[in-house]
Amino acid sequence: MTEQGETGDTITILLVEDDAPTCWRLQDALVKAGYEVRSAGTLSEARAALAGGAPRVLLTDLRLPDGHGVELIREMRQRFPDTEIMVISALGDEESVISAITVGATGYLLKDAFPTDIATTVRDLVAGHSPISASIARFIVRRTQGTAQNSAEPPPGPALNTARLTPREIDILWGIAKGFSYAEIASHLGLSKQTVPGHIKNIYRKLEVHTRSEAVFEAVQQGLIKL
Amino acid sequence: MSEIAAKAPTKAPTRPRRRLIASRLVPYLLLQALIVIATVLGLRLLQPSDPDDFALSGFSLREDGVTTPVTLPHFTASRYSLADPPLYTGTFTFRRGDAASGWSVYLPRFSNAVEVAVDGVVVLDSRRDANANRPDRNTPQIAAVPASLLREGTNEITVRLFVWGPLKGFLDTVYVGPDAALRPAYETRTLLFVTLPVVFSAWQSILAVILAIMWLMRRHEPVYGVLAAAMVLGVVQAFAPPPVPPAATSRLAAVLLASAPTESALIVVFGVLFFGWRWPRYATLLFLPGIVVFVVGLIGGPPLPRILFLVLGIPTVGICLVLMACITATAVVRRQDAASFTIGCAVTIVLVCWIQDMLNVLEIVSNDRIFVSRLSYSAMLVAIGAGLTWRFARALNQVDSFAGQLVTRVREAEERLKASFAREEERARAAALANERTRLMRDLHDGLGGQLVSIVALSERGHEGATITDAARAALKDLRLVIDSMDDIGGDLMLALGSWRERASAQLRPHDITLDWRVATPQGLPLHPELRPWHVIQIVRILDEAVTNAVKHAEARHIAVTIDTLDGDQGPYGVISVTDDGHGFAVSDNGEAARTGQTARGLRNMRNRAARCGAMLDLSSDTSGTRVRLQLPQCFPDSDMAAG
Repeated sequence: MTEQGETGDTITILLVEDDAPTCWRLQDALVKAGYEVRSAGTLSEARAALAGGAPRVLLTDLRLPDGHGVELIREMRQRFPDTEIMVISALGDEESVISAITVGATGYLLKDAFPTDIATTVRDLVAGHSPISASIARFIVRRTQGTAQNSAEPPPGPALNTARLTPREIDILWGIAKGFSYAEIASHLGLSKQTVPGHIKNIYRKLEVHTRSEAVFEAVQQGLIKL
Repeated sequence: MSEIAAKAPTKAPTRPRRRLIASRLVPYLLLQALIVIATVLGLRLLQPSDPDDFALSGFSLREDGVTTPVTLPHFTASRYSLADPPLYTGTFTFRRGDAASGWSVYLPRFSNAVEVAVDGVVVLDSRRDANANRPDRNTPQIAAVPASLLREGTNEITVRLFVWGPLKGFLDTVYVGPDAALRPAYETRTLLFVTLPVVFSAWQSILAVILAIMWLMRRHEPVYGVLAAAMVLGVVQAFAPPPVPPAATSRLAAVLLASAPTESALIVVFGVLFFGWRWPRYATLLFLPGIVVFVVGLIGGPPLPRILFLVLGIPTVGICLVLMACITATAVVRRQDAASFTIGCAVTIVLVCWIQDMLNVLEIVSNDRIFVSRLSYSAMLVAIGAGLTWRFARALNQVDSFAGQLVTRVREAEERLKASFAREEERARAAALANERTRLMRDLHDGLGGQLVSIVALSERGHEGATITDAARAALKDLRLVIDSMDDIGGDLMLALGSWRERASAQLRPHDITLDWRVATPQGLPLHPELRPWHVIQIVRILDEAVTNAVKHAEARHIAVTIDTLDGDQGPYGVISVTDDGHGFAVSDNGEAARTGQTARGLRNMRNRAARCGAMLDLSSDTSGTRVRLQLPQCFPDSDMAAG
């Protein structure tokens, strides 16, 4: 089975992961699914690999020996806006996933996911579906509540601008947080099932910090840059 | 023997007490004696001096048809002589050469009224000035003599003295001379005996208003009201126009003019109340003379009030003054404070003045019939009123400072409370943190620890990689569960179940088992504000155990999770059911599974966990499948129920 992009070419993936066994495991799963995978263990290796052209998908770990994956995601988003970006996370914790989302990632992959799930996740991403976990959805909606209630203390965790989310998108996030499937959410909200992934993609896009100054602000907020 | 014993203790304290009274009273009385001497001397020294160069003393008096030579000052024989007033006739010498300015006739003191004529022409009639005729005032009169009237050489002056009681008529020395020489003496007397009483009375009226307002606002302190009433009477008495016979006057005005006994009784009441004593009931008799004067005066009309005033009123004033002196002396002995000393001294002064006036009236001491008790009494009242106002202001200041202290104290207490509250909060937070840390350690130990040990054991034995994988996956799953449970889900268990669904689906996918997820209502489960992370962990572990059993031991193909909310007696409660289509296992009578030891342990664990968070676990199993029904409590317990 070979995965084909819209143009019919083989889908290329740049995998950035410094832990060799994890890297092998992910690479095996993706190659077996028919993707063309290049791997890099550091930021500099990843940048070198990008010199050869933009991959269709970037899978990157966040903690890398020579820097932070967020830097790579931000560069990628600016240089190759069409590339789908996914962050590799050990536990799928909000800290890492949200910080990646704010610089342009549209999904995340668990390091211990089953090989078939790895392939499925990447395929969905290319097809325009962004995966989102219940805990991430929960984090985002709680953030919308936090800003809505104007609470004195900011909620813990990375800063997140949720002001642009529509009530419908927040409803969808609530559904995901409570474990409902896309079909269930669609029926609760009177939507067609196919539109839910699009909404989720939109949510990701809206959470991304676009302008440079905002990005710097976000980076400072997250402690990625020290002023 | 017993009598002596009984008497001894009663006598013992009286002796030092007497000594104490004596030691306090004697100096006070000595001081009063000094004040008496000072007052008498003061009255002598302050006697207004008149220009003796122009005095006319030798007059011939025609009274009751009899003409006698008299020397002024002179008292008439009768108290009433309106029809045929005594006529004093005298002469003086006028030399035009001396008269740089006009000449005047000056009468320093007379009672009740005079009509002065020079060479048969009337130059002064004091009856036109009602206040000049009051016997209790010492009003002087002066009149300019027209220059055209005066003849070079000897001139005749006649003085008609109108007397209408209650005292005998009196005419002081008459002065005739240049106005410039007489006027200063007249001005001095006017200042002392006309202006000063008016000033005192005005002051008294202001104090009366202030004291009345104080009393109105503080009804429980009648001392202010009594003093205000006394002052009002005094003011009315001072300003009410006295009648000049034969003009008719209202009876009310007449009795008001004779209000001094009532006024002095009021002052005694004030003294008693001021020094904090109770007003003895029989002491109200003190008001009797005043009332008699009032009632009889109202019924009988003039001149009864004047006569009664002389007979009843003036002695009453004296009695009241003596009573006041006694009261203040007692107060001085008991209290030894400035107020009683001051009032005591003032009373002594007034008493001396009153005695002096009495001697004067009785013609024992001739003092040109100058009455001073009214003046001194007014001065005393003003002093008392001022003192009371001062005391009131000081009390207000004390209240202010007390309020200030109170505000400061309250602020201090508030700050202390805040500090202790912050401390308490800090302690509570630290305790909560410590509890949470303990719980986290225990959860990690329970799940992750065991699984990691298992991984180590498996690796050491060189087991199949797949087993190690399972153990490691279980460890990761548990780690996610613990991390997940730490999150604040705001009492919505559905949020935890949402994450669990993802993990369970991922776990089941490689086994080709489908997970049916049925939520009966869109809200899912009722909210539990009391839900704590350790409750969540227990519930999720129960569900995990149920799914694991279905996969590992029952070889199920479908697992259905149903989430429902049911209505109970005390509100809604949630029910979570996990049903599989596996081959089940036998459940023994005592509720324990009788299949393998591992399953049995798993089931026991599930029951334990359910019990710890107050949930009820129902387990039914047969060959067509297993059903685990977890009924959540309506309210999750605060503490670990199994631990307690």
